[in-house]
Amino acid sequence: MDPVSTLEQAIASAPERIAAATSLEELERVENELLGKDSPVGQVRRSMGRLDDELKPKVGAKLNEATGRIGTLLAKRRAELEIIEEEQRLRTETIDVTLEAVSFPSGSIHVVQQTIDEICDIFVGLGYRVVGGPEAELAYYSFDALNTPPTHPSRWEQDTMYLDWGNPEDEVNLRPHTSSVQARWMESHEPPVYVVVPGRCYRRDTIDATHLPVFYQIEGLAVDEGIQFSDLKGTLLHFAREFFGPKTDVRLRPHFFPFTEPSAELDVSCFNCDGGEPGCRVCHGKGWLELLGCGMVDPFVLETAGYDPSVVSGFAFGLGPERVAMARHGVDSLRHFIENDIRFLRQF
Amino acid sequence: MKVSLAWLREFVDLPTEDIDELSYAFDMLGHAVEHVQALEPGWTEVYVGKVLDIAPHPDADKVRVCQVDHGQGPSQIICGAWNFDVGATVAVARPGSVLPGGVEIGKRTIRGVESNGMICSERELGIGSDQSGILVLEDDLEVGRPFHEVVELPDVVFELEITTNRPDALSLVGIARDLGAWFDVETRVPPLPLTTVPGATRVSVEIADPTGCRRFTAREIRGVRVGSSPLRVRHRLHKVGVRSISNVVDVTNYVMFELGHPLHAFDADTIVGDRLVVKRASPGETLETLDHVVRTLSEGDLIIYDDAGATSMAGTMGGARSEVSDKTTRVLMEAASWDPPTIMNMWRRHDLRSEAATRFERGVDPNLADVANQRACAMVQRLAGGEVLEGAVDVVTVDIRPWTVELTMDHVTQLLGEGFDPAEVRSILERLELEVEGVDPFIVTIPTFRPDLTRPADLVEEIARIHGFDKFDATLPTGPAGGLTAEQRRLRRVLTTLTGIGLSQAINLPFVSVEDLTALGLETDSSELLTVKNPLREEESKLRPTILPGLLNGLRYNRSHGNTSVALFEFGKVFSSEPSRDDPRLPTEFDRIGWAVIGDVGIEKMGEAFVTADATVSLAIFRHLADALDLDVEIESATRPGFHPGRTAQISVNSVVVGHVGELSPMAVRYFELEGRVAVAELDLDPLLAPVAPTLAVAPSVFPHVDFDLSFLVPAETPAKALIDATTGSTDLVEWARVFDEFTGDSVGEGMKALAIRYRLRAPDRTLEQREIGAIRDRMIEAAASLGARLRGA
Repeated sequence: MDPVSTLEQAIASAPERIAAATSLEELERVENELLGKDSPVGQVRRSMGRLDDELKPKVGAKLNEATGRIGTLLAKRRAELEIIEEEQRLRTETIDVTLEAVSFPSGSIHVVQQTIDEICDIFVGLGYRVVGGPEAELAYYSFDALNTPPTHPSRWEQDTMYLDWGNPEDEVNLRPHTSSVQARWMESHEPPVYVVVPGRCYRRDTIDATHLPVFYQIEGLAVDEGIQFSDLKGTLLHFAREFFGPKTDVRLRPHFFPFTEPSAELDVSCFNCDGGEPGCRVCHGKGWLELLGCGMVDPFVLETAGYDPSVVSGFAFGLGPERVAMARHGVDSLRHFIENDIRFLRQF
Repeated sequence: MKVSLAWLREFVDLPTEDIDELSYAFDMLGHAVEHVQALEPGWTEVYVGKVLDIAPHPDADKVRVCQVDHGQGPSQIICGAWNFDVGATVAVARPGSVLPGGVEIGKRTIRGVESNGMICSERELGIGSDQSGILVLEDDLEVGRPFHEVVELPDVVFELEITTNRPDALSLVGIARDLGAWFDVETRVPPLPLTTVPGATRVSVEIADPTGCRRFTAREIRGVRVGSSPLRVRHRLHKVGVRSISNVVDVTNYVMFELGHPLHAFDADTIVGDRLVVKRASPGETLETLDHVVRTLSEGDLIIYDDAGATSMAGTMGGARSEVSDKTTRVLMEAASWDPPTIMNMWRRHDLRSEAATRFERGVDPNLADVANQRACAMVQRLAGGEVLEGAVDVVTVDIRPWTVELTMDHVTQLLGEGFDPAEVRSILERLELEVEGVDPFIVTIPTFRPDLTRPADLVEEIARIHGFDKFDATLPTGPAGGLTAEQRRLRRVLTTLTGIGLSQAINLPFVSVEDLTALGLETDSSELLTVKNPLREEESKLRPTILPGLLNGLRYNRSHGNTSVALFEFGKVFSSEPSRDDPRLPTEFDRIGWAVIGDVGIEKMGEAFVTADATVSLAIFRHLADALDLDVEIESATRPGFHPGRTAQISVNSVVVGHVGELSPMAVRYFELEGRVAVAELDLDPLLAPVAPTLAVAPSVFPHVDFDLSFLVPAETPAKALIDATTGSTDLVEWARVFDEFTGDSVGEGMKALAIRYRLRAPDRTLEQREIGAIRDRMIEAAASLGARLRGA
């Protein structure tokens, strides 16, 4: 066969043979068969020296055409096969995505702390400051300045923890509420006052599912010119909606506390059911949750702190973050909050 | 307090009987509804009947054959009870009636005699526990009347939480008054006039303790027949949770529920001598109270004595010796007004919270004493007969009169806003039975049954309450700018930083045991600990001077529940008995933060070895925290009680020591029932939270770097940091220097250690030249020599 025909035949047969290669290895073999030393094209290339001079350009051109066209086809197929082979290889690298083979350590902020921070943040958004005060406190701030006279049962040793410390007249106690900070703060700051006071409180209670001898309370206090009862209601409504969701409703019920007048308890509509579902784990069918005690600051408290109740007025409230966290997260016992079992802590 | 709607209706014209509307009214009046019980008759077809005839059963001797009229002519009923005679008024279940428990009553034949229904006992009707015989009713009840009307069923019992400032509301009168104001309807006290006979009680009363007793009234009733109360009285008491005792005793409870003033009935014949004396007890005296408990009295107890000694505890519980019994014929009815704190102390001391004590501790209106006494005597007369002697005892030691409060519209609008007009204010006050004169100012006369109303603010509360808390708008005050302080923001950062590397926040009660402190090497004299004078439990008596014991007990708790890798931190107050610098009247308290970590830490990879907690982990936690807080810290080797002596660092921030980071001492590890090494730290929180100046940025150099390693032999005690500081001190071209290997051993030689350090050099403005690098390297080796270090192999 003449060299040109050989090359033309090689060009003609190449596409089919290249396409038939299904692996890079096979393709290499096909390449060898098409363009290798012993292939028809190779033989033509080797025989070029022996060709007549007038034939050389023609055969040479054909040879270039053959190696060029076949080479292009091979390159194209190689690229295809590389992709296919990589895909196959990647398939063998598959992992079990459900297996936690590597894990970053994850700690958790205590759920009570989270609750406190979230509540404080809501009030910070309303222009409040977050302030504190001593846990060991004078009876003056825990009681007297809050319109709670010495005869009041909450002052008795049966309810309040007293310290074996200091001047007996000071009746140094572990504060039974963060309300003690009300008087302290007002004494040392001019109105307007907008503060929330998260902190620990102490009462002589036995530890059980619903009682702890030491627990947190968040006291809120707003004293300014022109503060009215409706401001108390609006502030707590805002808080309840931020915390429990925008559909939350509130109601104030008259109550009694020595340091507020009028006094009220705040109920929030149940966030778990749409109001009074009989089996609701949160409200037990009542539709309302008792959330906190509040009221307009008693004029006695304002006067004692050196404020003029005819000029300024205010409201105060106090809530228990443990109870809020309990209701919100369905925690069945306050004990969990102080056991520090990491299985409990890391849930939140 | 439990309130029966049927009974309450005698005192107020309620515009509704709807349970929800009434519950709402109670809630909005401040008498929170704790429980509502709708009472329905447990039977059908039971009527009042009269026994016309009784004959023996011809064939059975335990039952009798009765002819009973229950409104449909005589019917024959066989009855096994013997506690009645012909003429008795009884409750009859007609054939077809169903009794509680689903018991159906039909016509039956008992040993050949027909029985058309049943004469019922209290127990069978489910209205009491008496099953000693059938229920014998009062003779004035109309035959054929449905029995449920007699016992006022259906009815609703509301259980209300009465706040401590409202002694008056522990009564039907008080509740009715509030409802009257709420609904703007009439209220009344059903009249019960008293008739008396000439004569006076022989008993005189001496009040030796005028602080304890404000007023004492007593009346004598002669010729009383003690028996059981009429069904309606018994059943009303039953509904509100009071056990019926006898007509005389029931009257004292009944009138107390009506008016709110407790009463006590003495058997006058058991009073020894002619004089009752009210005075404080002598310690150690005993008195047997009505509940048949012999109580040892204390000094503060206020007691009524007769010539034979203590006979009754004032305002709390009567004595057994002078108890009214079925033999009693002469009753001395006492209505006295007692000092609230005295009664409060007394019932708490004796754990005896009676209905009387509950009222007296809040303050019962002394001006109500004789009103209650007269009403009780009148009722005894009706229920138990007898004659009330005209001459009564009435000793007043504290004369309390109505007072006035001046209220202005400014008071109202300052707290409640605009939207109240004087007419509404006046109307609300008058509906509460306060007397009002004038308009702005209103001169309001406060009756003595409202001791809680002494100031304008108290009246403003009443106006808000009766107006309705629900009717107020919700507004927001325009406060000033608020926000968290820098310290508070940095504390948030502490929490997220530590939790981010796997520590969980613990919260412990801030108490500590001396044993735990001893195990931590803090053998403090326990007098240095801040101590609770009246702890409920010993475990809650000492306030913690360190935050570590709680954390270590936390590890122990977790370990005992199978949690072996645990990383906890806590921040909070610790206490000391030193006087506080802020207020020397108070002890010192300050915030600390600490952690305790045991077991595996850091990133976990399946099948690979974990990092295990030890001192180096504790230091890593600290450095990570210090980085996050951008603190300038100094870490140096130190010892600390409770910490491992060779694996503890003292931490300084801005040259002030703030605490320690390291490893728990092995002895403490054993004491807290732990195993292996425990990473611990305790630091003062405030210095960590103090704001720091903002870091000034350095633009990263774009020129090439040069890395080289130097391996030094140094005296073993030389801290790595000293070597790094020395070798890098002579140039500012070191980008960083890190120890990448540390070892000791034979190849290194006694007293020496090898430290291999990698240095990276880079200039901010140029490519470093070989010559320059060589010079720096030489200076480094020279500087190391000053610490006794030389290049390894050199």
